[in-house]
Amino acid sequence: MEILGKSVTELIGMLKSKKISSEELYSYFIRRIKKYNPKLNAFLTVPNRGDWGDKGLLLGIPLAIKDNFCTKGVRTTASSKVLDNFIPPYESTVTQKLKDNGALLLGKTNMDAWAHGSSTETSDYGPTRNPHDLTRVPGGSSGGSAAAVSAYLSPAAIGSETAGSIRGPAAWCGVVGLKPTYGRVSRYGVIAMGSSLDCPGLMTQTTEDAALILQVLVGKDPYDATTVDMDVPDYCNKIKRKEKLTVGVAEDYFDGVDDEIKNKVYRCIDTMKQMGHKMKNVRLLHPKYSISVYTIIQRAEVSSNLARYDGIRYGNGRYAFGQEAKKRIMLGSYTLSHGYYEDYYKKAQKVRALIVEDFNRVFKEVDVVISPTMPVSALKIGESEKYPFFGEKMDALHEPAALAGIPAISIPVGLDKNNLPIGMQIIGRHFDEETILNLAYQFEKETGFFGVLKKGLEKYKD
Amino acid sequence: MAKKILTREEVHHLAKLAKLTLTEVEIKKYQKQLSETLDYVENLKEIETDNITSDFYTTKARDVFFKDKMSHERILSDEEVMANAKRKSRNLFIVKRIL
Repeated sequence: MEILGKSVTELIGMLKSKKISSEELYSYFIRRIKKYNPKLNAFLTVPNRGDWGDKGLLLGIPLAIKDNFCTKGVRTTASSKVLDNFIPPYESTVTQKLKDNGALLLGKTNMDAWAHGSSTETSDYGPTRNPHDLTRVPGGSSGGSAAAVSAYLSPAAIGSETAGSIRGPAAWCGVVGLKPTYGRVSRYGVIAMGSSLDCPGLMTQTTEDAALILQVLVGKDPYDATTVDMDVPDYCNKIKRKEKLTVGVAEDYFDGVDDEIKNKVYRCIDTMKQMGHKMKNVRLLHPKYSISVYTIIQRAEVSSNLARYDGIRYGNGRYAFGQEAKKRIMLGSYTLSHGYYEDYYKKAQKVRALIVEDFNRVFKEVDVVISPTMPVSALKIGESEKYPFFGEKMDALHEPAALAGIPAISIPVGLDKNNLPIGMQIIGRHFDEETILNLAYQFEKETGFFGVLKKGLEKYKD
Repeated sequence: MAKKILTREEVHHLAKLAKLTLTEVEIKKYQKQLSETLDYVENLKEIETDNITSDFYTTKARDVFFKDKMSHERILSDEEVMANAKRKSRNLFIVKRIL
């Protein structure tokens, strides 16, 4: 029975019709991890098999989880030596929900340490490699999760995003990456980075899988006060409606983007027009301001969140922080200092309010906004050092939606001249994941994501 | 606005505030990198914000209150609480003396 490349939805069908057993499926992915992980370094920890339940939407499906989700009894490091030997005494809400729905923990995936970065190179456990080209980075910070899905070491994976950490690596590894609305999915048990921005999400091979896993993750959580109590749509059904949408295109979101990527996204605009959607030019605040707002707010929140690592109750001492974490902690300490708070943090919060208003205005005219996901395709390992301000610039197109707390999805739209994946993102209104998923699904049905996922698997036979 | 360059003393002070130990090489590097970042974010001055009250919530989240009592479902046992500590004595964490 061919398993390679089967989506979560297809695997569930195979399990239900008893074409395979959960044991076989689990062993299949463990075999692939043993074979390919030494090259890719996507997984940091692969624990002994846990038990799956007897019911749930994801019954029998093994999943990779980013290593910043606390998993009870399973080492959780956030890719930092500070937490080298940390065994969480409790379970994050996200992993609990997956367990409750019959999913199995396959392993914990590599990331930029503390999720600080856009390449997975700042991991204290070495970089993850891009399955499409092993000399390149997978993007970050959820690079291990993206690489695991791209090379089919896991049929789907959980990631998290503060600004771009799901969409970025999804684009560079050629998979689907969904960042839900802030407050849609609980942050309880996720190692905190920027608390007003952090957002658990997922990476999959198909839009339908994204809808399915989202269904499991969403909802009010008494342990995360920012989660919102509101009706949850039936995503898997909603995405299949043939909605005709008004799609916004913001010119400034193409500024500084590589020509090949730009042209690819322009061609996607034509495709969407042919599919019957209405395209509309819109004006949004230039992303260069989001870079500044994000940098100030995120560093401030990092300096506060990382203050708790004292090496007393768990983990190693503060000597174990890497370069990037130290830099961010200090910048945050600076902008929150007496005398600078008004100039930096407060100013940034005010511009953040403008960014929220800006999107609200545009979403009166359009249903979604599209843009390239990344300004360039995957860089070589070590190349990021040549770019001053690398992470911020790479994430420029993610930061506006992250700051506004609105959902966005990156989908594969083709390969560049080096056979590296290109991503396009679809940004939606607050709590309107169903519309961005709807367009992504229609686009996937129309184009098959241009065979990007299949291409990625060619080098990763069983 | 003139370029802001953080002095060696400022970086040293920030490290002290954040309880980080830096080498001389790191101090030099951070002087440069942190100054670059502070320089970049100056572009926010181009945006008029006098009439804006700062926005701390992006969604419809409201304040959440708990009853003032213990929630038993999340209580960890002493053993679980101490399990990850490197230096401990029975159920006590050992810390540096402060007096």
